Order: sequence, then structure tokens, then C-alpha cells
Amino acid sequence: MSEPLLKVIDLHKNFGGIHAVKGVNLHVNDGETLGLIGPNGAGKTTIFNLIMDEFRPSSGEIWFDGQDIGKLATHQRVQHGIARTYQVPQPFSEMTVGENIRVAMAPDNLWHQIRDGADIAREAEISKSVGFAENAIGAMPPELSMGDLRRLEMARTVAVQPRLLLLDEVFAGLAFGEIAQISDMLVEKKEKESLTYIIVSHDLRALAPLVDRVVVMSFGEVIAEGTFDEVTNDPHVREVYLGQ
Amino acid sequence: MDSTTKKFIAGWLIFALIACLLPFVVSTGTLRILIFAHFLGMFAMSWDFLSGRTGYISFGHPFLIGIGGYTTAILTYHFDVPIYLSIPAAVAATMVGGTLFFVPALRIRGTYFALVTLAFMEILYELTKVVAPKLTGGTRGISGVPSIVTGAEPNYYLTFALMFIIGFGLWLLIRTRLGITLSAIRMNEEAVKSAGHSTTKLKLFAFMVSAAVSGIGGAFYVHYLGSIAPRGIFEINFLFTIIVAALLGGAGTIMGPIAGAYFLTLLLELLRPVLPGMERYFLYGLVALVLYVYQPNGIYDIIAVAGRKLSGKAR
Repeated sequence: MSEPLLKVIDLHKNFGGIHAVKGVNLHVNDGETLGLIGPNGAGKTTIFNLIMDEFRPSSGEIWFDGQDIGKLATHQRVQHGIARTYQVPQPFSEMTVGENIRVAMAPDNLWHQIRDGADIAREAEISKSVGFAENAIGAMPPELSMGDLRRLEMARTVAVQPRLLLLDEVFAGLAFGEIAQISDMLVEKKEKESLTYIIVSHDLRALAPLVDRVVVMSFGEVIAEGTFDEVTNDPHVREVYLGQ
Repeated sequence: MDSTTKKFIAGWLIFALIACLLPFVVSTGTLRILIFAHFLGMFAMSWDFLSGRTGYISFGHPFLIGIGGYTTAILTYHFDVPIYLSIPAAVAATMVGGTLFFVPALRIRGTYFALVTLAFMEILYELTKVVAPKLTGGTRGISGVPSIVTGAEPNYYLTFALMFIIGFGLWLLIRTRLGITLSAIRMNEEAVKSAGHSTTKLKLFAFMVSAAVSGIGGAFYVHYLGSIAPRGIFEINFLFTIIVAALLGGAGTIMGPIAGAYFLTLLLELLRPVLPGMERYFLYGLVALVLYVYQPNGIYDIIAVAGRKLSGKAR
């Protein structure tokens, strides 16, 4: 069996006296979609923050594509092929949709940023590929619906050409129709660009058709792992997460 | 070249044309006032390139201006170094000296960054008084620094050319993708990192450019004044005038800080006959407050809106 694309080994994170992540082990294989679920405060977003170096782990290892990335800064991890979206969308609020994508497309080389002009055609292509209407490229984030803000997050992450996407509460705040649109877009993107996903979501109904495997967390620990049906039928998971 | 860029370039050219013709219609006294506006414009652009763009509010720009000013003053006055060498040395010293202090500070944000940079200004003020006072002139500073050119008109053209070249250069720079990435730091630094950019590198670049402009401005300022004293440079009113000029003009716009510098300098000078003392600063603070409340995007926005209306009518 080939090496997983991402491997998290015995990861711990303490915030003062709070042990937010307690020895988490998880992996995701190339091309797989992993669901990461659990009640509020389970440590799901913290795991994303640790994978992206937005928090430093107290201990543990993170391997990506066969390389220990524990010492890499956020931007270096992105350059290696990991990108994320946020639970609350984080657009550059005074920039248009096109400019938001432009920032993500720009190389991390100052001279190239000065020398090379914007690739307007590619910006429009990315914008269209996540489901924006053609005239949305000039729209400002405060004008966008939550669904469009999630599209913008997706567009920005796709623009960095990742291999692994960490999608945090990608369906939160969306209407029923929008969930279906975003879901379809995720499937299409994954197929076209050979992406691997880890999706955090409370919306299990939306998550079910997307995931190959699910990891359940509670109070900073992994309490179950398996297919969607296996974990949702696990009595312990039902007790701590589903409340029955 | 798109039509917006053409309009901007036309704006720069009209500005240059008006500025070049001004000495034929205004008095020498007014030219001397405008020379100060040009220096303030350079300092405000320098502040704006770091603080207006990246959101790292610096209270330490007099520190940078001081390094540039003192370096060229010491080199020319004590060591007879020619000006054409002392000014590049001053710019280099500002960039290196500033980097030693500012770069560690760029790891902290918000109020803490502002306060730490304010402390730099005070540190240099104290240092110029106690460390090698024979060299720096202590509290009295250095007088008799050689001039580059003499007379109001040559100095007016020299300072305008400097301000114009710096302004146009920075304007070209902010129109690139780098300009957009720097602005993104102000809006959400974490998201810039998540887009695969080293924000440390970006902030260091913004700082280096800002320091270079401060160094150039500071060096020329001292040669124009012919002297430098710690209380003239490391002074809170001087600092606030720079920041207010940038904010009033329109932060993050390059043309805005220039407009703000003209507005503030002329306002302070117009108030001088009525209010000769420090109370002028109270009144200008009031004007700045009113303008900032009712026109938060600055004077540049007023000019831009008027320009759009005029061009609409012309069509």
C-alpha cells in the first residue's frame, strides 16, 4: 500500500491548562476524501490550524507527501501543496473577487510579482470553475452571499494549486440549494484537479455522499474511524455526537 | 495600457506641469512653504507605504528620517564627504539601521507595534544627546551642513522633482501584483500566509522601501535646512504631521499623502498670522478630525470623485 498523502502522528496541543488535542493520529490517502466530524470544541479546526502551522503543536509529527513538514511555516506548507478554507470566510474585503484570486495566484517571489502582470483570463477561469457568474469577477466581498463567499474561499485555495484541501465547515450558513451547488462543485473540482479533501462539517447529510472515510473526534481525541455508515452507527459516536 | 492607467498618468503629468509653472506666478515666500510641503509629501509617502499599505502603524518614522539626516550631516560636516556620496550613504544607513530595529518589531502587531516604534524615536533622541555628542552636536545638533542648491526656486524644483520621482515610482510599484499583495496584509495577514506568501518577506520589502524614502527625504531635508537638531526631528508634532498628512490625503493611495502634505502645510502657514503659537496645531487637529469624520477616504477621494464627474460631463 502506498504512503498516505498526509499523516498526523501523536499530535498534542495545549492552550495553557486546556489539552485541546490529545495524541491524535490520522491520515488521508492521495485522492481520498476524509470527513472530520465531532461536537463543537472537539478540536477539528485546531487540527487544521496545526496542519497549516497557524498553531504550533505541543508535540507530535505532521508528514506530507513523505516529508516531515513540522518545521515549515504556513506559506511553505501551502507551497508544498496544502491549502485550507476557513469556518468564517476570510476574504480580502476591500478587493474584488478577481483581486482576491490574484493574491492567491501571485508567486512568492517579489520580483516576479513586480515583473509579471495579472493573468486576468486565468482569474476569470478560476472564478467560473467554482461557480461564479461571469460578472462576479468585479464584485466586492461585502456584496456576496454566504454561498458566494464560500466559493471565493474555494477559488482562492484552488488558485494556489494544492494537492490537499482542508475545508472547514464548508456548508455552514448555506441554504439547501447552495449546499447542493457547493457539493457538486467540490466533486467536480476533485475529479478535474485530482484533489484530496479533508472536510470538517456538522452537516452530516451533506457530508455523507462526499466522503470515503470519516474520523470522529471528541474532546481532542479520535473516538472512531471508518466509513460513514460505520461511524454513524457506532453506539459510542451516537452517544457523544448524535446524542442518542 | 488601459484607460484608467492613462487617466492616472495624465493626472501625474498635469500635476507636474502645474508644479513647474507655479514659480512664475507665486511669491518666493510661497515657494519656500511649498518646499516644506514637498518634504512632508516624501515623509508621508514613506509612512504610507509601510503603514497605509500593510496596516502596520508606525510611530517611528522620525527615527528613520533622523538616521538619514544625521548620517549625511555628520559625513559632510565632520568628514568633508561630498554630498553625492553622503546621501547614498545616508539612505543605506537608514535601511540598515532601520532594519536592525524595525524588523524584529514587525513580528508584533497593532498597538504594540506602534508603541515599540514610538520608543525607537525616543531612543534615537536620547542617543544623539549622549552618545558621541561631539559628532552629533548633542542637544544643539549640527549647524552649517552644506546646501545642495541655494535659493527658493532651485530648491523648489529640486524637492518637487524628488517628491515627484518617488511618488511616481511608488505609484507604479503599487499597481503591480506586489502592491495588491501588500494591501492584502492590511486586510488579513493570515489569509495572505494561507495563499502561500511569506508575509515576513513582504513586510520587510515594504519596510525597506519606506526606509529608503525616509532616508532620501531626511538627507535632503537636512541639506536644505543646513542644520539638524534632535528636537526638530524626534518630535511628536513632526510625527503626527506626517501621519495626519497621509491619512487626510488618503492612506494607501500615494497621490493622497502628497495632497495631504500640500493641504496641511498650506493650512498651517495660513493659520500662522492668526495663531502664531502652538495653538495652530489644535486648530489643524480639529480640521483634520472634521475631514476625517466626513471624508474618511481622504482628500484624494474628493479629487477622484470630482475628476470622474468632470470627465463624465466632458463626455
